[in-house]
Amino acid sequence: MASVILKNLTKCWGDFIGVDNQSLDIQDHEFLVLLGPSGCGKTTTMRMIAGLEDPTDGEIWIGDRMVNDDLPKDRHVAMVFQNYGLYPHMTVFDNIAYPLRVRGTPKGEIEPRVKKAAGQVELIELLHRKPKALSGGQRQRVALARAIVRTPRVFLMDEPLSNLDAKLRVTMRAELKHLSRELKITTIYVTHDQIEAMTLADRIAVMKDGIIQQVGTPDEIYNDPASLFVAGFIGSPAMNLINGSVQDGYFVTTGGTKLVAVSVPDKPDVVLGVRADDMRISEEGEGDIDARIYAFEHTGEATLLTVQWGTQRVIVRGARHLRKEQGEIVSISLGSDHLYLFNPDTGKRIRG
Amino acid sequence: MTGKQKKQISQAIQIVLILITIFVMLVPILWIFMAAFKNHIDVFQLKLFFTPTLENFGTVFEAPYHLGMKLWNSTIVAFVTVALAIPIATMAAYSFSRFRLRGKTAMLVVILATQFMPAVVIILPFFVMFRDVGLLDTRIGLVLVNLAIVMPFAIWMIKGFIDGIPIDTEEAAMVDGSSRIMVIRNIVLPMAAPGLLTAGIFCFIIAWNEFLFALILTNKDAVTLPIGLALFKAEEGDLWNLLSAAGIIIMLPMFILALIIRKYFVQGMTMGAVR
Repeated sequence: MASVILKNLTKCWGDFIGVDNQSLDIQDHEFLVLLGPSGCGKTTTMRMIAGLEDPTDGEIWIGDRMVNDDLPKDRHVAMVFQNYGLYPHMTVFDNIAYPLRVRGTPKGEIEPRVKKAAGQVELIELLHRKPKALSGGQRQRVALARAIVRTPRVFLMDEPLSNLDAKLRVTMRAELKHLSRELKITTIYVTHDQIEAMTLADRIAVMKDGIIQQVGTPDEIYNDPASLFVAGFIGSPAMNLINGSVQDGYFVTTGGTKLVAVSVPDKPDVVLGVRADDMRISEEGEGDIDARIYAFEHTGEATLLTVQWGTQRVIVRGARHLRKEQGEIVSISLGSDHLYLFNPDTGKRIRG
Repeated sequence: MTGKQKKQISQAIQIVLILITIFVMLVPILWIFMAAFKNHIDVFQLKLFFTPTLENFGTVFEAPYHLGMKLWNSTIVAFVTVALAIPIATMAAYSFSRFRLRGKTAMLVVILATQFMPAVVIILPFFVMFRDVGLLDTRIGLVLVNLAIVMPFAIWMIKGFIDGIPIDTEEAAMVDGSSRIMVIRNIVLPMAAPGLLTAGIFCFIIAWNEFLFALILTNKDAVTLPIGLALFKAEEGDLWNLLSAAGIIIMLPMFILALIIRKYFVQGMTMGAVR
């Protein structure tokens, strides 16, 4: 078990910059999620830690050793791949035993350790099968068992759940969380799924265009986004981003509607971010501003109202039993908590 | 006409077409099969019923034909060719498939382009070269020539199979603790085995049937089976019964290999497709 430290890590292919001079400290025992859209450099970062990709510049430290020049096999990390990366010509038992065998583990030790790992992911019944005869979820379990069988210093997981169907993904997510708390091994987990990131992570590093935008606990990332990108990327539905300006201590939309009091100096161009959950819906005339319903959606556990505010559409979450029709007028109120102002040019947060 | 009748008619047409094709393809082979068991007189009559004899198979191994030596030459040449071609081609194919090489595409095309050249064009240079270094009429010489013929083929074919192995699997093995060599031995070779076998059999067939180079580059000691067939042109005409017997000896291993290859060829073709 070990900490992982990235120092000024860079990866270029010709002119294309995959990862741009990034530094990150990952604590011992920590579960860190690298989150970002595809092509943001998160997988490249992980592959460099695994040794499958050589960094163009910068240093990678695992524990107290710089591993830049170590082969993957000497880094004592275990990796779970998106496509599982199982050995199709071997049985499940041999798949799980492979890391032990190539490392010269004594024969007598192999079987109990394979059985223990298989037990932890509930695979005991399937040890004699070939991967071909397993379902997607079972294959992913084999990949997990193969990773945990040798107690690596660091776990690397590259979108391990993205090939599973939605229902199985939720179950496996819980199992992963359980397992990681039980094993207490430093884990780096790559995903583009914000729910996975929020639920699994101790800390999340949000990446975009090869740059880490923000590192923080799920709570910080969700409730205190540092930039427009993070604010828009995290949360479902996405945070509403409304263009406007600050005049006389009020946020005024581009259309000229005076929306809500804010505690920042006047500024011509700002973006106001507000989550669907942080607004209240009331009958016409009772709230801050009236708006026409563009669409009404019922998700089961809540309702989603898309309302038209001048040129912009805003999504508001309503109570489960709220019933409205398209075209009706409702009134929306914004609390002064949980409002975020951003500079549209730099994308940075404007703090009061 | 109902749909059912239409379907039946089109099926009947299909069967007829298939039968015609089979007939056209198999008649020469059937003829050889019969001729091989006929005696010298029966062979010139198109008799379907005759008293079969094994005499021809004995005669071809005796003087002056000595087919046994040619059989031995063919076997050695084909086996040694395959035994050298497959390991070398596998290494080349792995590199082409997995490493970033400078001028990779160009090299692959050039390798394949050697196959576009008519053999007749290069046969004289070969002859002169082999004469100078003393490789004329040797089995080693023939192995070298056959290697040149089968290698491009083997490299391309095996590369296809290795391309079909997901790179994740290899990377997983590396992170799990294997060196590159161990990855190749433990993961790539077992997974590519059907492909290697298929390529090996293909190479064997090519080397076994190779005629032109063997004709020019051998004359006594290293003569192979296909060249041996020419021996049965005698003053009294073509000795069809002996020729056919020798033909069957040449064909038999091919039939057996074709049976093996059929199973693995299909398996190899679909291996990469199903994840």
